[in-house]
Amino acid sequence: MAKTSGNPLRELMIYAKPYRILFVGIIGLVVIYNLTQVIQPYLVKVAIDRYLLVHQAHLGPIAEIGIAYLMITLIGLVANLFQTRLVAFAGQKIVREIRIELFTHIESLSMKYFETHDTGRLLTNVSSDTTRISQFFTQFLLSVIRDGLTIVLVMGAMLILNWKLGLMATIVVPIIVVISVVFRPHLRQSYNTTRSRLSRLIGFVAENLTGMRVVQVFHQEQKQLHAFNNLNYPYQDASITEYKWDILFNRSFDLLGNLAVAFVAWLGGLAVMHHAIQLGVLYAFISYIQQFFSPINSLTQNWNTLQSSMISAERVNNVLATPPALSDPQYPIDPDPIGPGAIAFEHVIFHYDPAQPVLQNISFSVKPGQFIGIAGETGAGKSTLISLLGRFYDVVEGRIQVDGVDIREMRQSDLHRLIAVVQQEVHLYSGTIADNIRLFRNDVTMEQIEGAAVATGADTFIRNLPNGYNTWLTPRGSNLSAGQRQLLAFARTVVLNPKILVLDEATANIDAVTEMAVQAGLVKIAANRTTIVIAHRLSTIRYADCIYVMHDGQIVERGNHDQLMGLHGRYSEMIQKASITNQSEQLA
Amino acid sequence: MWKQPLVTDFFKKYRWDYVMAVVAVGISKIIQVQIPNIIGNLINQFRLGITVRLIQHYAGELAVVSIGYVLLFGLGQFTVGKLARIFEAHLRQRLFSHWELLEVQYFQKHTVGDLLSHVLNDVPTVRQAMAGGISQILQAAFLFLATLAMTVTKINWILTAASLIPLLLIPVVVVRIGPKIRRQSRLVQEALSEMSDLAEESLQSIRLIKSTANEPIETQRFTRKTDLIYDRSMDLVRLNTTFQALIPLLTGISFAIALVFGGELTLTHKISLGAFVAFTVYLSMLVRPLMQFGNVINIFQNSSASLSRIETLLKAKPQITDPASPQSMPSFPSVTIQDLTFKYPHSTKPALQHITLKIPAGSTLGIVGHTGAGKTTLCSLLLRELDPDPGAIFIGGVDIRDLSRADLRDHVAYVPQEGFLFSFPVGDNIGFPLTDSNPALVTEAAHKARILTTIQNMPRGFATIVGERGINLSGGQRQRVAIARALVKIDAKILILDDSLSAVDSGTESSILAALQELRQKNQTTTIIISHRLSSLRDVDHILVLEDGMMAEYGTPKDLLSRLGGLYSHLYHIQTQGGAHLG
Repeated sequence: MAKTSGNPLRELMIYAKPYRILFVGIIGLVVIYNLTQVIQPYLVKVAIDRYLLVHQAHLGPIAEIGIAYLMITLIGLVANLFQTRLVAFAGQKIVREIRIELFTHIESLSMKYFETHDTGRLLTNVSSDTTRISQFFTQFLLSVIRDGLTIVLVMGAMLILNWKLGLMATIVVPIIVVISVVFRPHLRQSYNTTRSRLSRLIGFVAENLTGMRVVQVFHQEQKQLHAFNNLNYPYQDASITEYKWDILFNRSFDLLGNLAVAFVAWLGGLAVMHHAIQLGVLYAFISYIQQFFSPINSLTQNWNTLQSSMISAERVNNVLATPPALSDPQYPIDPDPIGPGAIAFEHVIFHYDPAQPVLQNISFSVKPGQFIGIAGETGAGKSTLISLLGRFYDVVEGRIQVDGVDIREMRQSDLHRLIAVVQQEVHLYSGTIADNIRLFRNDVTMEQIEGAAVATGADTFIRNLPNGYNTWLTPRGSNLSAGQRQLLAFARTVVLNPKILVLDEATANIDAVTEMAVQAGLVKIAANRTTIVIAHRLSTIRYADCIYVMHDGQIVERGNHDQLMGLHGRYSEMIQKASITNQSEQLA
Repeated sequence: MWKQPLVTDFFKKYRWDYVMAVVAVGISKIIQVQIPNIIGNLINQFRLGITVRLIQHYAGELAVVSIGYVLLFGLGQFTVGKLARIFEAHLRQRLFSHWELLEVQYFQKHTVGDLLSHVLNDVPTVRQAMAGGISQILQAAFLFLATLAMTVTKINWILTAASLIPLLLIPVVVVRIGPKIRRQSRLVQEALSEMSDLAEESLQSIRLIKSTANEPIETQRFTRKTDLIYDRSMDLVRLNTTFQALIPLLTGISFAIALVFGGELTLTHKISLGAFVAFTVYLSMLVRPLMQFGNVINIFQNSSASLSRIETLLKAKPQITDPASPQSMPSFPSVTIQDLTFKYPHSTKPALQHITLKIPAGSTLGIVGHTGAGKTTLCSLLLRELDPDPGAIFIGGVDIRDLSRADLRDHVAYVPQEGFLFSFPVGDNIGFPLTDSNPALVTEAAHKARILTTIQNMPRGFATIVGERGINLSGGQRQRVAIARALVKIDAKILILDDSLSAVDSGTESSILAALQELRQKNQTTTIIISHRLSSLRDVDHILVLEDGMMAEYGTPKDLLSRLGGLYSHLYHIQTQGGAHLG
């Protein structure tokens, strides 16, 4: 904790700055509310001492006190109502801003960041860390102000009524603090144990529900039930332990509260007997002493809130402090949006670690409108080549030009408008088919969407879906086959209308008929564009204008299919190794 | 909800614990209401003549009463809470073992999220009624009655009645606003998880977003979600603050009445000053039970809905039953399918029509067809996850319906299409079909599935955790582990591979197929291989081409290849020559 105190707190306060006038107002309201709470027992004391203990009957003043009591209550309620709402307003506004800033920042981080950091962690940053930060404003700050003030005011009231008795009554304060501090770790630990056991149990159930078919097909119901109970009963025990600590804590407070009343009755009774205080003061003391308990409890509870908010704030700050690795140039060159689409790699060298070169001295150029294939085994550097072209990483040496402009001299967003990459794995969004094609861009019309789908051959299957273009998709949507996803990705590309198309070819699981549709779609979107295909199945690039064969980060062979076959080198070897050849030998 | 056998049986079992809890809470509340009375007596004593001894007496009485009350109340509360947690665990187990009985179709109809919400929401809601509900109603009833008894008998019934009027609105307020707050906070939670979902999706497709320069659009979408959270949270705050203001308002009114009316009674000597003071304390004691009455009504309403959802779930009966006297699994099972037609209950078109074929023991059938052609349905029928008509499927001459499912499944090794793996270590995944762990068998199976070296090269070998659904493994590795899991059943008589080699590279594929071939010759295992990739079917004896649930083609691979214009030869040519011309 020592390391994180101070700094993250100051960072948090920066977000609160625009609301400082509001916070001053809130403090004012809290003061009003607390004063009303302290005045209430005092009014009863006045009623007892001034009017009920005297022997002539006067109803008038009593009625006045009754009305005053009601007024005070009302004022307190209104102050409390507005104070709570304003705090929530400020807290929600602040957390909203932090969330948007964080999300925007995460989007701007480099691809390297995403490859080296767990995205689950980032997600926790966005959702639960920001929620915990908001608790700092809505719970901790409020509690410090409200509860702290209550304790001070109650103590003050007791000291003013009778300082000797007041001082003695404050003995309960350290006792309450000690009890809270002693119990808190147990409460917290038993709570955490229960939570973690529950989440393990829920994880187990979720997994087994998903894999119930496997459990049943392998006839392992008994084994899994046994495993389930090995989680179920420990959770039950943890939950009972948690409840036990909860009751011990609450009843201790309860007991202490009642004993404090007995203590005040004893001390105060003696004081009344010796005429040191009036009877009404005893009544007020009995009321006041009970008002100590809930604010102290809430303060100790919120101490934990403070700690967890600070940890969260630190995590969020760490993310915000990570600079986007690749920055745009100060004076970017605007690329010609309808230019021809030529690509040139000049002596490109790339590695993450100098000891392990990933790409070595890659040079090639692609003429506008050409169709280029890149072949090679896994790890040969094919995907890295594409990442460099999209400037997800910067080259270590050499340069990459698009239409004669070094890509480092363009804005990244401009570059990305020139080049579209269709990845092997097609990401789907939760949204309609139309949303998925237009990527939620509002400026894309329905005609454009349908036009793109028709052009790529996706229209047929979309129209066969129950809701057509309005069919709802989910990211893991098993409702679309791999081939259909590919077709959607093609339609997306048509809408984006890039000069250069890069296709990381999908491998598995496309049945043959869909594959024909995919190939046809590919021909459509490749027309009039410079196209680079990273091939996993060599059949796709058989008709490429030029095929580059990569091995260990170098281009080892180049030429069209026939030329490469004539070389009897790596390419022809790969062709022979392909399963198809195997099979044709088997079956022929 | 109290008439449901689930609950009544539990009450019956633990009746003495419940009786004890009721008695403890009851006595504790009777003791608790003595406290204001003692304070009142002390105050009265000041007018009647006070001594140090008397003060000590009253203070001591307060202390003793407090201790007695806290001990008994704590005991009663803990007992009720503990029993509720035991009930909860019991209920969860009932749910889980019930789910194990239900078949695939049930899990297709209900999403995992829906089913999980029974465990996550319904079970705790019922627990809440059994713990908080019972505990609160006990406290509230005893405290309310005891307080009323004290104020009416010891103080003044008219004062009690007058001051109580505003307080009686408290349960109404709780019942009115409570459920609204609940609903609204659920809406807030939903908005929060919508935001998380969107962030998750965006992070997963960050490459797509970046490569299409779509960041501003994503930020816009994200902002809309945060706005939703803001709006809903503020609505919740408005409800909450209103609720939090109404209760003290009612209490305040009641207190003012007590002050004025009680003051008058004191002035006219109808009640003593001590009684007046005691009454104000009693009044504050009434607030909680009245709120609790409202709470309890809300809790019981929610939980009876939850309990009836659970009851409905437990009533779902398995569709497929074992025969009364099952026959035992034949030792050399051929698979015979006799004019099999199968239709899913709610569909109009049969999934399979007029399938007739025979797979002799120890031979192999390959199945080809589009997605939706009926391949997986056929697997499910052979595993009896679906029930064929009598006389349609025979295993070694015995109708599959005359076998017990446990016996059948113990002898079938199945590699499912999705290759589902559990998040436990890879060795345990392979050994999943075994009752006791057997490292030798696991190693052997891993070797046959050509995954042994890969596993041995992993940092923790067979103890390597595969992650949720095997996420730490590549697609091909997952499939090979799933194959090893099937092959670990060394006495399996039927082996089914449901499109389980699609992500395995061609070299490994041939190697695995060779291992299967060997196995077949040794054990006479009847094998069925379903695949999109024709290369997987190179060793099969017969091929069945399914189209729209019908036998489009059936014969040896050679036969089918020679049928020009047939689907098989068509697919064969596509896969060998590649498709389109580009550029």
